[in-house]
Amino acid sequence: MADSTKRCLQRIMRLIPSYMLRTTLEKWGRFTVEQQKSIDFTRSKWALTEALLSICEENKFAMKHLTGLEMIYIMDNPNQGMWYVLQLLDPEDDAHSVELMQFKEQFKSHLKELVRHVSIKIKKHTDQAVWIRIAWGDAFSPPNHLKPTYVVHYLQTPSVFVTNLTSKQKPLLSQAMLLSTRHQAIKDANLSGQNLTAIRDLLMKKYQQVFPTKYPSPLAENNQTISNPLIEKEQAEPAANRLHMACKAFGGGALPQLQSAVYKLETKFRDHSNKTMTEREEPFRCVVKFASTNLLESLRHCASSGIASTPVTPLLSCISLKGRNYFVITDNGPGPSSQTHQPQN
Amino acid sequence: MSLLKPFSRLPGLNSANILLVEREEQFQQSLADVLVEETTFTVNVRLAKSLPLPMENEESRPRIDLVVFIINLTSELSLQSAEASLKSLDPGYFLGKVCFMVTNARSAAAPIERLDVARKLAASLYCPLLFAEDQTPDGVTNATERLLTILKVAAGLVPMATSLYLSNLTRSTVPPDIEQPSFN
Repeated sequence: MADSTKRCLQRIMRLIPSYMLRTTLEKWGRFTVEQQKSIDFTRSKWALTEALLSICEENKFAMKHLTGLEMIYIMDNPNQGMWYVLQLLDPEDDAHSVELMQFKEQFKSHLKELVRHVSIKIKKHTDQAVWIRIAWGDAFSPPNHLKPTYVVHYLQTPSVFVTNLTSKQKPLLSQAMLLSTRHQAIKDANLSGQNLTAIRDLLMKKYQQVFPTKYPSPLAENNQTISNPLIEKEQAEPAANRLHMACKAFGGGALPQLQSAVYKLETKFRDHSNKTMTEREEPFRCVVKFASTNLLESLRHCASSGIASTPVTPLLSCISLKGRNYFVITDNGPGPSSQTHQPQN
Repeated sequence: MSLLKPFSRLPGLNSANILLVEREEQFQQSLADVLVEETTFTVNVRLAKSLPLPMENEESRPRIDLVVFIINLTSELSLQSAEASLKSLDPGYFLGKVCFMVTNARSAAAPIERLDVARKLAASLYCPLLFAEDQTPDGVTNATERLLTILKVAAGLVPMATSLYLSNLTRSTVPPDIEQPSFN
């Protein structure tokens, strides 16, 4: 087996944790039953790698077989690495009728036109997502399978999720995507996160939505959740109002796991006690970053427990409303006397 | 401004009403769950985040026998919220019907100055200062037992003892060397 293929297998073995190996290999299905049985999964990773290497050589596997294995693992465990979202704009008339076979052919041919040596693998996942694995090479070198880019796209939606894409590869991928999905422009959607399912759910609003109602509290006789008649909450109504407003801003139930929200401020400094800073003409640039294991959950809790004032400020609620977590905020209107901030772009 | 008054209602038979005031609204729920399990008399627990209490509950609210302020020493806002709530309490409560309960006193995140402030606050108002551990069920049970002891007297369920008499024994005092820097 070629050196590069060996290294690819070693990389895949580093990626896949031992407890997932058996199921992933079974899903891959390229080993015969005897070969699968002959692997002792309790051995160390290094020993397992050697065992798999010998079986792959026996079966005369090439790079394309191994990339299939890697893709199966990543498709089942997408919540690693950093995913970025791109948005397709200006669809042409036939953008809504792009179907899978057409997309596959178009994408492969366009990308191969742009990059001489590139290895593309396209698979459809059970939830109708199209997964693309791209190993980039250039005019002089073969595709590098150790640093593949993964692209996830739901056909006929404007969002494209990418991971592991360098700035040099981005325009090539964008061009190929535009041509194969029949759109005219592509831009950064300002949303990123480690958890692919979370950013997808946020963008497609696949979490429980709470809508503003005229009568926010449920009917009294339906409220069976009173735990003990002897315990009474004095401020139950304001607490329920706060909870309702927090859920309206961020959503009810389990929320998608975002890790951070970044606000880049380009507003003028505002503090009347500090004249030197306020008199400057240029805006005071700073970056505010909110980070958490589950950011939306923390923000909702802040609002419902009264730490943040309700109604929730639009700066925070537009994270879920617009599905973004990177904002650039500039002053609106002339001079330091203006009180309004508008999230731009 | 609506003050909470101690003697504006008639007492209930064989029952006591306790009001737990806590900004974080965490410990009060676990305390309440254990307090209502008391069998010898009925304990009615009312939970609030801060005072003053809303006007809408004015008619249905029974006579509050004991007001407990729960302060989390790791949070400055907790202490400030408790101090602000004190203003909405009728002075009649400070004759043994108010108690301070402090959590996380041993935590590294709680500066010693804050404990001193809480101690001085309790001492100046002649109220007891209880220390509680809120993370384990045992801690909750212990805190509940101590509260019930004071509650029983405050509700008049212990013959020959009144809350004013008990407060002479339980009120917090400030050690005279509190201004001296401590050893750690």
